[in-house]
Amino acid sequence: MVLVAPSPLVPDAATDDGTRSEVPGVPSGRDLLALLRGDHAARPSFDPGLAGGVRAWLEDAAFETASVRAERAGSLMLGARQILGTATTHDTTDVAPRLVDRLVHALFRQLVFGCRIEDPLGDGLDALRAAGDEETVRGVAALGGPARAALGTTLDRHIAHLSALVPRFAPGWMPRTDDYVAIPLAGGAVVLHGVFDLLVGIPQSGTASLCALGLSTGGPWPRERRTLHFLALLELLRTGTPPFRVALLESATGRYGVEDISEEHLRAMAAHVAGWLGRSDTCA
Amino acid sequence: MTDLTATLLAPPTRVEPSCWQAALDEARAALAGLAVRRPGTGPFRITEHEIRLALSPAGSPAGAGPGSEAAFAWSARTARRALGLAAIRLLLDGGARSPLEAVRARLQECERWVSEGSACASQLDRWIAGLSAAGRGAAAADAVTWTTRLWCALDWTAFDTAPVVGRDRWWDSPHSALLALRGRAEVRCPSGHLVVLQGPRRDSVRSELALVALVEALRSRSAAPPGRVVGWWPDSGHLVRLEPEPGVLRLATDAVSLVLAGGVIAPAVRAAA
Repeated sequence: MVLVAPSPLVPDAATDDGTRSEVPGVPSGRDLLALLRGDHAARPSFDPGLAGGVRAWLEDAAFETASVRAERAGSLMLGARQILGTATTHDTTDVAPRLVDRLVHALFRQLVFGCRIEDPLGDGLDALRAAGDEETVRGVAALGGPARAALGTTLDRHIAHLSALVPRFAPGWMPRTDDYVAIPLAGGAVVLHGVFDLLVGIPQSGTASLCALGLSTGGPWPRERRTLHFLALLELLRTGTPPFRVALLESATGRYGVEDISEEHLRAMAAHVAGWLGRSDTCA
Repeated sequence: MTDLTATLLAPPTRVEPSCWQAALDEARAALAGLAVRRPGTGPFRITEHEIRLALSPAGSPAGAGPGSEAAFAWSARTARRALGLAAIRLLLDGGARSPLEAVRARLQECERWVSEGSACASQLDRWIAGLSAAGRGAAAADAVTWTTRLWCALDWTAFDTAPVVGRDRWWDSPHSALLALRGRAEVRCPSGHLVVLQGPRRDSVRSELALVALVEALRSRSAAPPGRVVGWWPDSGHLVRLEPEPGVLRLATDAVSLVLAGGVIAPAVRAAA
């Protein structure tokens, strides 16, 4: 992963893949904010015909898939989990990874909007109740005392990292969380979909002006990074321009990385999706 | 100007006045015939939701039939539109500079109205006021996303007159107090009505949007057709544009007939919709 950083912000001890590990308790939201903003003049530009070309490519692949599916099979909903594989190594020390993931994401949204988190588990459950996610709330309620305590400890660690990492966005950056994207292809027979954990920036016609942040509760890092590329492809199809920059935050470790989106990323992901749609077992 | 704004503000398509009037008369006559009491039924308040249910395939989630839906409950998801529309109005009035500020202001208003016992306080206000700080944060987060999408999708300076934001319009049948139709649109201006759509693209969407045009036409004191109806899916960026042609009135009237004939709606539930 390529870090895009003004020289004072280039990390002293970057890992092999260019990411940075945070020291717990050391505030760095401002660093991340500076990385996201970057140099306005150096932002990548995109061929205005790219979106149309990529859409035509994927439409062809999707029509082939649709043609061999049963007419009443309904839409084939494809997210990053299907397209990029299901292997994950969530932070599974002793609690269900799905509960951690849902709670951390709920608390992340609180942090983005400047809410204080005093009791991660309690606040997370309150947020999920308000969001109507009763399944997760029931899942936590069903935990025994030790498992619940372990969940609380795990959450504390994730939120400590996120509290340090998540920048305070000025309202003018228009931060919005859980932005769902669904791109129908082949008349809706195939739908590519995903959720931006966080988008910032004001959309501008014909100009890539958005940054996207992805939140990972455990990785693996390469797959999470490719998920962001997949989401960038969906945004290209939705609005005609992708985010110009993406960031990935790993709440379990405090690791983060920022990179510019390039046309090569988008073409490679489109090729992967088209190839996936063309596989013989896709329609099973 | 964004594509959505340009579509909404494009010059109207010319419609032959006599054709339009004939279609409108036909629609009024058809609705008069539908406004009759049916045994064991209450008032029919027909919205785009009933039309979607009536026209959806039986196996689809939307076509599961009456009684299959969970009871309504406030949640961040069900509250986001109401909070978002209030936030957009505040932004247009200059009372806030960003969706985040506008949603925060609306949430504060909820709490103030409830704590002061204001007559303005609605069920939604009371639900918001009863949430913990984290719960309010979750509701705010959903509303901010909804608001930002709509706020950024339109070029608000392009409107000659201030658009009307989020006022549903009802048409009550003059032949029977039993029948009423609702037209839902998020943004209205003389040239068009913008409807924010959710869920997958579906065959019923043109009929859903036609209901908005039918309600406008029935309520209008002018013989001129109403503005076009533009459906917009923020999830995909797709638009559906419905010009006010005579066929649109027939499409909507047929859909209303289908709803009433199929007994798809559960009146007591829908009355609160």
